[in-house]
Amino acid sequence: MTSKPIPIRPVSLECRTCGAGAPVDEHFCPQCSRILALGRHGDYFTFFGLERRLRLEPQDLERRFRELSRKFHPDYYYNAPASERLASLERASYLNDAYRVLRSLPSRVEYLLSLEGLPPARDQEGQAKVPAALLEEVFALNEELDEIRTMREGGADPAMLRARIEAARTPIERKRDEHEQQLETLSMRWDDLATAAPDGATSAATDAATLDARRATLTALRDQLLERHYIQNLLATIEQELQHAGA
Amino acid sequence: MGKVVGIDLGTTNSLVAFVHEGQPVVLRDGSGDALVPSVVSVDEDGTIFVGREAQRRLLTAPGRTVYSVKRFMGRGIEDVSGEASLLPFAVSGDPAGVIRIGLGGQQFTPPEISAFVLRELKRRAEDYFQAQGEFDFEVDRAVITVPAYFNDAQRTATRDAGRLAGLEVLRIINEPTAASLAYGLDKRDRGVVAVYDLGGGTFDISILRVEDGVFQVLATNGDTHLGGDDVDLLLVGQVLGELRGAGVTQTAELVQAVRRAAIHAKWDLSEQEQATLVIEPSPVLPAGYRRTITRDAFETMIRPLVERTLGPCRQALTDAGLQPRDIDEVVLVGGSTRIPLVRRMVEELFGRAPHSELNPDEVVALGAAVQADILISGRREMLLLDVTPLSLGIETMGGVVSKIILRNSTIPATGREMFTTGIDSQTAVDVHVLQGERELADDCRSLARFKLRGIPPMPAGLPRIEVQFQIDANGILSVSAHELRTGISQAIEVKPSYGLTDQEVERMLIESFEHAEADFDARLLIEAVNEAESVVHATEKSLRRPDFDVLTAGQLAPGEIDAITAALASIKTTMAGSDRAAIQAATKTLNHATQHLAEVMMNSSVREALTGRRVDDVQRRADEVPHA
Repeated sequence: MTSKPIPIRPVSLECRTCGAGAPVDEHFCPQCSRILALGRHGDYFTFFGLERRLRLEPQDLERRFRELSRKFHPDYYYNAPASERLASLERASYLNDAYRVLRSLPSRVEYLLSLEGLPPARDQEGQAKVPAALLEEVFALNEELDEIRTMREGGADPAMLRARIEAARTPIERKRDEHEQQLETLSMRWDDLATAAPDGATSAATDAATLDARRATLTALRDQLLERHYIQNLLATIEQELQHAGA
Repeated sequence: MGKVVGIDLGTTNSLVAFVHEGQPVVLRDGSGDALVPSVVSVDEDGTIFVGREAQRRLLTAPGRTVYSVKRFMGRGIEDVSGEASLLPFAVSGDPAGVIRIGLGGQQFTPPEISAFVLRELKRRAEDYFQAQGEFDFEVDRAVITVPAYFNDAQRTATRDAGRLAGLEVLRIINEPTAASLAYGLDKRDRGVVAVYDLGGGTFDISILRVEDGVFQVLATNGDTHLGGDDVDLLLVGQVLGELRGAGVTQTAELVQAVRRAAIHAKWDLSEQEQATLVIEPSPVLPAGYRRTITRDAFETMIRPLVERTLGPCRQALTDAGLQPRDIDEVVLVGGSTRIPLVRRMVEELFGRAPHSELNPDEVVALGAAVQADILISGRREMLLLDVTPLSLGIETMGGVVSKIILRNSTIPATGREMFTTGIDSQTAVDVHVLQGERELADDCRSLARFKLRGIPPMPAGLPRIEVQFQIDANGILSVSAHELRTGISQAIEVKPSYGLTDQEVERMLIESFEHAEADFDARLLIEAVNEAESVVHATEKSLRRPDFDVLTAGQLAPGEIDAITAALASIKTTMAGSDRAAIQAATKTLNHATQHLAEVMMNSSVREALTGRRVDDVQRRADEVPHA
């Protein structure tokens, strides 16, 4: 039996101004209401006051971002003591970094994977092997691109080349759209699992099953990301070919 | 605590503004002019002129007068070699080092030249506050604007210029964002705004979302070497080409005369369908020059330049994830947006008529003043969230750049990178920091080289050094590092690639204080000479009057005229020197010598007036009489 993951919730930060303890997801000291220095714990979700879920309301995120910006921005700490100015810079930077990551689903997924202890969804040694799900498309595309290159060197009509490249792009774009759909579905599954059994709230009986399901979802999410990176590289290659063919 | 102002340090003109009873206002001189030309001139005595006076000297002392220095801020000599041939002043510098500008035997860096302009603005503001009867009129802090697309080196150079001018630079903010703040004062509604800023030397496009008083930049792009100067250069190049064809030798004076005529023709073409580029005959060009340019021909010539602004606009839209139709408002900033072709092309791109209610020359300074007010008052109605215009990265194996903070990230922002050692017991690691979007280090802008020192000796690959890159709200980078296994912080030596080191700035600051004293002395000397001149002038005028003998008949003591002529001769000799005390003494002597004469002439004039002459005539004559 694997043990249940221990929720990492360091209880407190220490206020540099009054010395009082504060919960890790607080931004201001409950005692003296000064801005708190940024601790090394906590994560982007808790910083925004959000559950660790993949689907979120973009407008809600924007609203929170603006509200927190108004609380932390260094503009408003110009006259404050040095320790508070530093805290404001740290918190504003962290807020902006968090906002950038949480803003889009793929980067949210990647961040979740790192929080949940899965290796980052990047190709290990730079050159990844072609994901199995993409073998067919990649094979067809490479063949077509080779042909187009030969024709281009032979001085073929650019307009015709462009049309062929555009045509070659369509199936890849379709694949990308499919992937976006799948990423949504998997995200929903993760959110449902997390809501049904939040950390620390599972009973012993459902434990193993839940953990397995969670692990499986995370792995599937990671595979999705790897494929997504691959698809994007393909689209970039096609874009380059288009440029070569002359705009 | 002294006063706080907002400063638009422009390529062509600079302005200073401040917030008065909640409203930003630009400071104007006696004749209502807010623009201080960003021109600096040094004369043979080392006296420094700034603004209009320096601008006039462009024609008379072109080799000692520098303009458009903003284009050189934070850049290397290899960046500007192309245009240096058309510049009348000497530009030099080591490859990959700071540019030096030679003005009459002295060398100045671009931040030093800019500091002269900033000091002039500071003085203008202080004069104003003093005239308002303010007790504490010193201006010691400022928000200074820069083009949004300025890189770290260019921003740092601007901040250095502020320090050299004796200003604490509260914040460096981007010009288009500043402009949006000024516009946002009237209408705090929500919407997506595109700010198109084409100035004298730089182009910026910024796309912002405004909501709940938060001005959030979504994307920015631009070209720090594209502006009205380039339009001028096209015209100047054409005219000089023609003149060369006619056998005229190209001198610095000629280039400036052509440049001035070209600028006037350009201005006229924004108002009229055709304009005449006129160079009056002068020793520089005895035959003079005259040519009519139609707006059509002008537009054909400058179209490629204006088209260069469209690429950055499209890129900014893409980066913001928007289509042109998503833009609710377009705002025009910068003098070059007065060109009708620019307006038409912007309108075409965004599909809507651009705003230009506020003076495009003044709107940036107004926004800077608003931001300065936010900083010192802690007022929270408005907040500006800007982005870093260029990606930040470090050089890795094979000269490839690894990006650490991506462009259009909201600032402040941080990025981290882990480093380790390659050989056993290695205690230092070199880090090369770059800015730019390209893949190879050679194609990006080198910002600085760091050496991480003091790594505890360990087998290769074991140390884990975390380097943190922090871009602050000014868009300026700082770096810190620590070794994670031992927790030891690393000492970092920064060698800015195109900037001044802190020590250099300190040294210049000390020199500038010495210089400021010299400047002050120079100013007092000029004032003393001016006063002496006016007394000499009035005296000579009196002596030359046709009715002199009639007026003074029988009323002067013997030798009195001789004493006056002697005093005149003496003061003229003294005025040629630079001894201020001697000049003042000579002025006093001359005044003293002419006092009796003045009284005599005044009395005679009054008598004449009483016998039927017009009063204003008397008055005018009285004015001509020197008076102690």
